[in-house]
Amino acid sequence: MKHSFRYPLAWRLLDWAEAAAAAIWPRRWASLTGYLLLMPAMLLVFVLVIGLIYIGENSLHELDIYTYRLKEAFSLINYRAATSATYQTIIGRSLGASAIVTAITMVLAFPYAYVMVRAASAWTRKLLLIALFLPFFIGQVVRAYGWLIVLGKQGLLNSILTDLGLPAIKLIYNYPAVILGLVQYMLPFAVLLLAPAITAIGEEAELASESLGANWIQTFRHVVIPMARPGLIGASVVVFTLTLTDFAMPEILGGGTTDFIANAIYDGFFQISNPGLGAALSMILVTIGSILVTIIFYLAGTGTLGFSGRRP
Amino acid sequence: MTGARGKSMVLWSVVIFNLITLSLPTVIILGASLTSGDIVEFPPAGLSLKWYGKLWLLDNFKDAFWRTAYVSVICALISIPAGTLAAIALARFRIRFRTTVQVYLLLPFTIPLVVSGLGMMMIFGEIRILGQLWPVGLGLCIINLPFMIWAVSATVNALDDELENAAANCGAPPLQAFLTVTLPAVMPGVITGALLMFILAFNEFLVSLFLTDARIVTLPVSIYNSIRSVITPDLAAVSVVYIIVAGVAVFALDKLVGLELFLKSK
Repeated sequence: MKHSFRYPLAWRLLDWAEAAAAAIWPRRWASLTGYLLLMPAMLLVFVLVIGLIYIGENSLHELDIYTYRLKEAFSLINYRAATSATYQTIIGRSLGASAIVTAITMVLAFPYAYVMVRAASAWTRKLLLIALFLPFFIGQVVRAYGWLIVLGKQGLLNSILTDLGLPAIKLIYNYPAVILGLVQYMLPFAVLLLAPAITAIGEEAELASESLGANWIQTFRHVVIPMARPGLIGASVVVFTLTLTDFAMPEILGGGTTDFIANAIYDGFFQISNPGLGAALSMILVTIGSILVTIIFYLAGTGTLGFSGRRP
Repeated sequence: MTGARGKSMVLWSVVIFNLITLSLPTVIILGASLTSGDIVEFPPAGLSLKWYGKLWLLDNFKDAFWRTAYVSVICALISIPAGTLAAIALARFRIRFRTTVQVYLLLPFTIPLVVSGLGMMMIFGEIRILGQLWPVGLGLCIINLPFMIWAVSATVNALDDELENAAANCGAPPLQAFLTVTLPAVMPGVITGALLMFILAFNEFLVSLFLTDARIVTLPVSIYNSIRSVITPDLAAVSVVYIIVAGVAVFALDKLVGLELFLKSK
């Protein structure tokens, strides 16, 4: 009996795919393969670039209050409106809140990251990681809702106060509530960016410092914190920019009393229906953010935030 | 204070403060959802699961839940090829202007979400796909794409490129080497990234607010709209859905790659 030999199906399929790939993308283009692989991601991100161009274009046209459409002619009037005293206050408030939130978050996150990395027991480490990831995976809206139940008029804290015979106090819809919500939101980001930097510090560096007579506070000040600098910078940049551009916490916990730039942009588009003004505020926000990030990247490098682990 | 006991006392008091701050909203939502009363109050009127029973009668929340799941799956599915290939390209191929490409690919993080959301709303409106569900998934993929690239980059960078050279040396053509050596090796990163993309899309609020309307509202937007009216315990029960999803995601992440991975230094 004659038995015709055939390769397994998977092999034939693979050979076929290989031939197809070679036909579509010949070997001599191999030096361009990297760019081909980058293409889908580049195209996706390009949507944001087009969006930015759209917004930039919108920002240069004044609103016609008779038709509620943007006029044809170019003008800078939206930028004049967007830098008026009202919006200066909002921009200032956002920047101030970002500085405060960054400072508080770093002070709280550093010990957490340190204890987590240096924990002797695997269980402690796991517990601290889970306590971090669980809220990280619960969105801002749900967490803000949780804070509303804690701080609200009939909330947890006020019911404790009234049980103690004290008058209830207003804890939500104010600045501190927004700061609290933001710090809680930023903590996981900060700790997760700090932890690798602290892991990179060898424990022997601390032991050396202590054996030379430094106490733990001196060791922290002169050894641990300076060595964790790349992580501290990376984490601060992320926390600062995320706070600067936040919408949900000022909206939900601020209740309209503590608007940030993002809230003003949203209102520009959907409350006062002036897309030109909203767009101008957007461009200002992008500019402030980019300048800050550029300065930090220039001073510290993208090191902790870049994609490739190897230095070229 | 300056001794070893002082050190652990100071550090641990900060840690415990953090633990309370981190978990208080979650714990309180769980508590509030179990009340038998009709309003959220403390102490709760009594314990009951009645709000969970009512959850299945709330068609708008149920629909919003399935829409959110759909959008999140789309987001993860788009991000898998785009993010994986980009990470491999950056780690394995000679790219001119590498730094520029990296900065460009980080644009989703550097452009504020409010601006990204508005821009995509305008573009999607212009090409008449606003009001459909899949563009929401696409939009959420774009704004979180760097997370996917990061996750895969971590595994590609850890992979010795001699393995691919060895495959080529044994006669494997490029596609075969890619499918049988590179891809299986980076799979943990791909799975981690896809999980992150899913959970972030499931939670993303601001961009969803711009890209959805009343007919296709997703869960985060729907919760936000309810918060602005009356705070009722059914909303707490809906929020518990999020806590459960987050719990499952943390468990899955731990089982798949181990949470300790995030402590590793680069």
